Amino acid sequence: MNLDDELKSALRRHEPPPDFTARVLARVSAGPARTAPLAGLSSTLTRKSTRWVAAIAATLLLAAGALEYRQYEGERAKSQVLLAMRITASKLNKAQKKVQMLSHRSIS
Amino acid sequence: MPERPVSTPAGMDFTGLVRQHQAMVFSIAWHVLRDRAVAEELAQDVFLSLHQHLATLESPGHALFWLRRVTSNRALDVLRRRQRHPMVSLENAPEPVALSPAGDPLLGTALRRLVGALPEKARAIVVLRYQEDLDPAEIAKILDIPVGTVKSQLQRALALLREKMSRTLGEIGL
Repeated sequence: MNLDDELKSALRRHEPPPDFTARVLARVSAGPARTAPLAGLSSTLTRKSTRWVAAIAATLLLAAGALEYRQYEGERAKSQVLLAMRITASKLNKAQKKVQMLSHRSIS
Repeated sequence: MPERPVSTPAGMDFTGLVRQHQAMVFSIAWHVLRDRAVAEELAQDVFLSLHQHLATLESPGHALFWLRRVTSNRALDVLRRRQRHPMVSLENAPEPVALSPAGDPLLGTALRRLVGALPEKARAIVVLRYQEDLDPAEIAKILDIPVGTVKSQLQRALALLREKMSRTLGEIGL
């Protein structure tokens, strides 16, 4: 077997489908020279704008998350203050009752 | 029908160039990519690009060189994009089945399959060498690589192909 000859035979040129030329000419007539750069620009813009949208969405999510967290922290602090105030009020109440009882006893 | 610019030199008519070179462009793409539909699409894109660059090409010879170069490089780009999908390497490629000696279409099919399993650059080199009958210096210019690289890759590819084919032919007693 002569490999060179076999390769030349195996890799000989083949014609594309019969309507190939017509399809190329139709695409050229459709204005690819003008539309291709625009399509490229549009695709570039789409890619760029997609990146921007993703970046903005991520920023908004982070901001919303931070805000939510701050609100949650605020609510927690508020409830802790209220609890502390309730405890204090209850203690004060008890202390006041004891003072009143002692003052009643000393009067009587 | 595309209009021919007034200053277009003889032999540089776009439709004529498409008709003259479509088999060459389509076949380079097909032999490198081993996918008829993708090769056809790539060939059309190459001719659209030719239409856009026609004014920069000086002669039919320049157009031929440009077409070979753009087709080869675009086909290699497609192969590189496909690299994510594992391909069978030549060393691991299955032996071609039921071969008979020279001139047999099955032998041609088997050889094309083995060429299609070569590494991408070697594949393009073999296609340009045997389809287009180009010498290593011309292939080096088209692929923009050193002549030495073309020669060494060609030798290695041929040694692998020879080994695979003779092993198969030996196995079936031919």
